[in-house]
Amino acid sequence: MSIVKFDNVTRVYKTGEHELKALDKVSFTLDESKFVVILGPSGAGKSTLLNMLGGLDSPTSGTITVNDRDISRLSNDELADFRASTVGFVFQFYNLIPTLTVYENVELVSEISKDHLDAKQMIEEVELTDHLNNFPSELSGGEQQRVSIARALCKNPQILLCDEPTGALDSETGVMVLKLLLKMAKSYGKTIVIVTHNQSIAKMADVVIRVKNGKIRSIEEQNDPMSADEVEW
Amino acid sequence: MLTRKLFRTAWGYKSQFISMIIMITLGIGIFLGFNMEWYTIEYDTSQFFADTNYADYRLYSQDGFTADDLEKIAGIKGVEAATRFLSVNLDLKGTSNKSLALDVSENYTVSTFVVMDGEDYDKNSDGFWLSDKFAAANNYKIGDELTLEYQGLDISGKIVGLIKSGEHMICVADKNQLMPDYNSFGYAYISPKKLRSIIQEKIDNMISEDLPAFFVNDDAVSEAENKIYAQVNILSGMEKEELEDAVKNALGKTIMVTPKTDHVVYKEAMGESEEGKTMGSVLPVLFLAIAILTMVTTMHRIATKEKIQIGTLKALGFKDRRILRHYTSYGLFIGVVGTAFGMGLGYLVCKSVMSENGMMGTYFDMPDWTAATPFFCYPVMIGTIVLLTLISFLSVHRQLRGTAAEALRPYSPKKMRKTLLEHTKLWNKMRFGTKWNLRDLSRHKSRSAMTLFGIVGCMVLMVGGLGMRDTMSGFLDLLDKDISNYATKVSLADNADSEKAKQLASELDGDWESLMGISLDGDTVTLDIVHNPKSIYNVINEDNRRIELSDEGVYLCLRLKDKANIGDNITFSPYGSNDTYTAKVIGYNRSIMTESVTMSDTLADKLGIDHTPTDIYTNMKTGDIPSSDLIAGKQNKVQLMNTFNSFVSIMDGMVIILVIAAAVLGIVVLYNLGIMSYVERSRELATLKVLGFRNKQIGRLLISQNLWLTVIGVIIGLPAGVGVLEWLLVSLAGEYEMKLMLGPLTYCVSIFLTFGVSLLVGLMVAGKNKKIDMVEALKEAD
Repeated sequence: MSIVKFDNVTRVYKTGEHELKALDKVSFTLDESKFVVILGPSGAGKSTLLNMLGGLDSPTSGTITVNDRDISRLSNDELADFRASTVGFVFQFYNLIPTLTVYENVELVSEISKDHLDAKQMIEEVELTDHLNNFPSELSGGEQQRVSIARALCKNPQILLCDEPTGALDSETGVMVLKLLLKMAKSYGKTIVIVTHNQSIAKMADVVIRVKNGKIRSIEEQNDPMSADEVEW
Repeated sequence: MLTRKLFRTAWGYKSQFISMIIMITLGIGIFLGFNMEWYTIEYDTSQFFADTNYADYRLYSQDGFTADDLEKIAGIKGVEAATRFLSVNLDLKGTSNKSLALDVSENYTVSTFVVMDGEDYDKNSDGFWLSDKFAAANNYKIGDELTLEYQGLDISGKIVGLIKSGEHMICVADKNQLMPDYNSFGYAYISPKKLRSIIQEKIDNMISEDLPAFFVNDDAVSEAENKIYAQVNILSGMEKEELEDAVKNALGKTIMVTPKTDHVVYKEAMGESEEGKTMGSVLPVLFLAIAILTMVTTMHRIATKEKIQIGTLKALGFKDRRILRHYTSYGLFIGVVGTAFGMGLGYLVCKSVMSENGMMGTYFDMPDWTAATPFFCYPVMIGTIVLLTLISFLSVHRQLRGTAAEALRPYSPKKMRKTLLEHTKLWNKMRFGTKWNLRDLSRHKSRSAMTLFGIVGCMVLMVGGLGMRDTMSGFLDLLDKDISNYATKVSLADNADSEKAKQLASELDGDWESLMGISLDGDTVTLDIVHNPKSIYNVINEDNRRIELSDEGVYLCLRLKDKANIGDNITFSPYGSNDTYTAKVIGYNRSIMTESVTMSDTLADKLGIDHTPTDIYTNMKTGDIPSSDLIAGKQNKVQLMNTFNSFVSIMDGMVIILVIAAAVLGIVVLYNLGIMSYVERSRELATLKVLGFRNKQIGRLLISQNLWLTVIGVIIGLPAGVGVLEWLLVSLAGEYEMKLMLGPLTYCVSIFLTFGVSLLVGLMVAGKNKKIDMVEALKEAD
């Protein structure tokens, strides 16, 4: 069942007299509980696409429908509510609140999400119970990204959006984080969308969307994706 | 190229640069303005005193001074000039409640005047030289006829010149009058020849009534003239004691010698200057300190934000010295621009107080209002620029330490540590926003402390300014209702007979007082002998309650508290007499203007002090009191209290300046630090937005931190403001004996305005939150 639908989505950025078309009439649909990888070189428009899907940005034209609801014309507050209830983000640079502990960073989402999960349980699942009271600055990059995953899932969103989640990590830690991400997404039945330029990650996906110069080059469904251990990193 | 970068970077940090320039402008401006104000008072008045030969000493004798006495006094070694002098308050004929102090400086060497328009001084002239301010207020012009009433005699003449005199620079008719009112009271000079002709006329009138013409000759006129010159004014650099002894030796009797420091004009002018110095030593320092501390915090933040650029320049091969010079010039730029604007502001502040149209324009009457700057202000201004440059230097120097690679690494803020509060159970019960804000405050201690400092400063200025007004209003209320419960004050003639004067007081159904100069431990103070059974004129204690004067001892005013404890005996000697009297101190009283010893008339009689009432206080209307030879002048209390209104309006002007300065200070400091906090937390704010927090929720978080600091700032600032005010009152106690009074409105307005400023800035900063670009803010690494 399709959960996301992009219909002729265009996003133009204006800087002075110059116009930059980051997305150009992009159309696709995503099904529920799938692992989707958006692949493309730097500047292809993949992050813009993710930001549109996550309600961080709105299209210049076209419509984006999530759960049959057009999110492309929502007000700021409606978009905030959408982000609070429907999507969870995992960023390349973690974006944890430095003045909150691990527990507090995860627990934070209870302030905005009615349907949230138990923070302690999520931290346990990312195996950071020992660091419950540590501040982000006291953790390694991989540990910080695990907190970020726990925080994203604690909101109990339908879709997990990850922008280069392993980009700031060494390959060993990156694989470990990726495994955890997939395991968690599978066990909680989430749709997961990862934006990356790393071809290896694409081998694990159910769907691979290739983007270049703001256009979709191909959408490829993989019936037999590899596991993280099978992929050569 | 780097210069171009300087201006572009300054533009990039425009809100910080502008706020720092505003702070330095305010700091320097208020510092300079307040200090220029008191210095200008000293400078301009001393110039004016020199131009009009303002007397250094005034000698008083009830018997008057003969020409021979004057010769002996002028012959004293150390006396540069001396003149017989007359100053008497006379009603202006054909007007209601207008009077003039009529002055004669016999040989015109001391206590002279400057002519603003008309004829120069001429010792043979028959005309009047009239105060130009009085003339302007009452539409008198040169050539107009003026008639004064003197003990039933008309003194008439043409106005020949319009003048200003140092003797009347603060032109008040009465010791209780704080502010001049040129509409009702001014001054005029006549020549000694005209005075002699008036005496002649008076004697001629008496001939027809009482005296045979046979007894009247030139000697009789001179004798009357001797009596009328009850004052000798002197220019001399001698010490008071030295002069007293020399006069005693020369004339063979003790004469009351009062130095200029006891004369109302000099005393009040110097009092104003002292007041300015006191104000100038607290408030501007507070402003400058806040300005410099803001600079420290802001420059540190800019330097850390510029760290990568500093590293890039280093990596490109720029020498540390050149990079330092470049970034140090930021501080220099801010210092120079801020100081230049500050000098302009300082001049405006000084001029708003000290100029003919300024607040002091109605208080001082002098020809020249040149603004003057005390010398120490120059090193302070240069020092401020140097200090600001040094602050930039040190901020950048820190970032330049180590290798180019180290400099290229982004600035990493201090690691979080748990605070004591976090180990309590209360912490776990707190909401996310509370924890977030508390941790942010503890992580950015200097920013939080500066914000707090700004709010406390804002509060202190508001409580200080508004409280000063309350205290002054309370003081005037006290004077109007509790002390002076009369309708009319009748001043009696110097030669009034004691019994007749007391008889008149009883006819007018009034209280009376007798004022005389006494020497107490070498100081000249006033002895106030009071007869007040009707409670029309009251003596009040420290708590502003009426004292039922006891006949067992005397009361010292609060300014003389150090002279004796209750129960001690004091010994004093009235001027013009060799007698000394001893009395027990039984209490302290609050005196309005003069340093005084107060006693009941019964005690004065018991001690055998010869006294004559000088003023009668009655509830009769001014117009209903019949004229009499005993009466030298009548003053309506409403008129007297009206003169205070101008005083209150000066006060209001100062209060408005202070409150505006407080609000600007609060807004600039809070906005600057608020923006800094917002920039530092923009990544966190963007994260919250991405997570799904609404703009309003995030705005509330930002505002609540400001409001917490405001609550703490108000809690500290309120008592601090009261403390500063108390300190100011103690410092000003030499001039006025005021009791600190703070109305509930002052508390409410101060708190309301401080919260208003905080909320306004909070909303301004929170409003920026809407513009956060989530995508951009989250792109970079921490």
